[in-house]
Amino acid sequence: MNTPSVGRQPHGRGHSEGHGRDLAALLAQVACGDHAAFEAVYDRLAGPVFGVARKVLRDPAQSEEVAQEVLLEVWRSASRFDPARGSAAAWVMTIAHRRAVDRVRAENAATAREQKAAPDIGASEDVFELVDLALDRQRIRRCMGSLSSLQAEAIKLAYYGGYSYPEVAGLLGLPLGTVKTRIRDGLIRMRDCMEVSQ
Amino acid sequence: MSVQSHDLHLLTGVYAVDALTGGELDEFEKHLEQCPTCAEEVRELRETAARLGLATAIAPPPSMREQVLDATSRVRQLPPSGVRVITADGSRRRRRLIRRLPRPIAVTAMAAAIVALAVLQVGTRHQLQQAQTKNQTIASVLAASDARIELGSSTVGGTVTAVVSPHDREAVITAAGMPTPSGARVYQLWVISPAGYRSLGLLPGSSAGAIAPVLADDVQPGDQLAVTIEPAGGTRQPTTIPIVEIRARP
Repeated sequence: MNTPSVGRQPHGRGHSEGHGRDLAALLAQVACGDHAAFEAVYDRLAGPVFGVARKVLRDPAQSEEVAQEVLLEVWRSASRFDPARGSAAAWVMTIAHRRAVDRVRAENAATAREQKAAPDIGASEDVFELVDLALDRQRIRRCMGSLSSLQAEAIKLAYYGGYSYPEVAGLLGLPLGTVKTRIRDGLIRMRDCMEVSQ
Repeated sequence: MSVQSHDLHLLTGVYAVDALTGGELDEFEKHLEQCPTCAEEVRELRETAARLGLATAIAPPPSMREQVLDATSRVRQLPPSGVRVITADGSRRRRRLIRRLPRPIAVTAMAAAIVALAVLQVGTRHQLQQAQTKNQTIASVLAASDARIELGSSTVGGTVTAVVSPHDREAVITAAGMPTPSGARVYQLWVISPAGYRSLGLLPGSSAGAIAPVLADDVQPGDQLAVTIEPAGGTRQPTTIPIVEIRARP
């Protein structure tokens, strides 16, 4: 099948822009029911989708379930992806993170969340050790290193831990307002750091 | 609990990492519609958050690939649409928002979740055909022009969702986040009408409290759908107080 963009896989790192364009083009083809294009999207994003589900949910079976749902959702609603509103990777990762967080929160509404929470704090460190396949792992690690430890910790608990910001405040023993601004400031600094090193 | 718009603007970060919940989330999303600066910042911070997600990449189980690719042939794609399902930030859809959304959007959103569940429960080729027939019926309920979504929170945690078509007298019921009943007990689903109780069978359990869709026929407008906890195998009539009741509105 004709998916010219698949053949032009970027080599090495630092091609994230071209990479993004290809994904957007592939999604446009997926929206037209192109199965080969969807396979290419799967091969690019199944790893990150599964990875973020694993990160948030921990349980492999549940993570796989969520990853499957997310990837089928990408197939189903590819026509709703609008490149003007952001990159294709961000669109997919937003769906993936939201699903994983929804799942973990639904679960924890039923089981006492606090009991599970405590041991997870230190464990959020391991994320960067786990990753080999990430496109810009190094850059992210470096940019994460440029944050204050409070900013980094709050972002990790929220994004990788799937905790709401009042929960993050509880875990870190900080006022709500502080967590709110630390997460925002930290993300802005990450954003600027990654733009500069693009 | 009204917050100043300056304070609302500070929520872009926690919103971008899905750490905003409840009333504050609703308030912020309303604010986003009128605040292009906030929407732009959310967009950018979403991109940043996505990078954090991309960095977690690990290889999924090899079997997942075939399962997902296979399932695409059974999942109908959304047409390109003038209807804005995707909001400024990307693709937020949350269960608790569904009630507020215009109906066709809500139903397609639910359809995605339900079809995905239906697909995932399929194990063998033999089961596949049965499941496909069932999925077709489920799909027809979900696609019914009068289909509406009813949500109920269970007293033991989790949510039961029913998509009801008053015209077809059919309903599709799913649940999420319900704990596994203790001991050898099960969840049993009922239709309660003026005529009495009718069992719709047991809710099939699965990991994470997600429950594969159950198709209910002969559901009249005004009937209640209810779930009770019963001894293994189920009972002829409810022996406990329902943990959730949902009324099929006319």
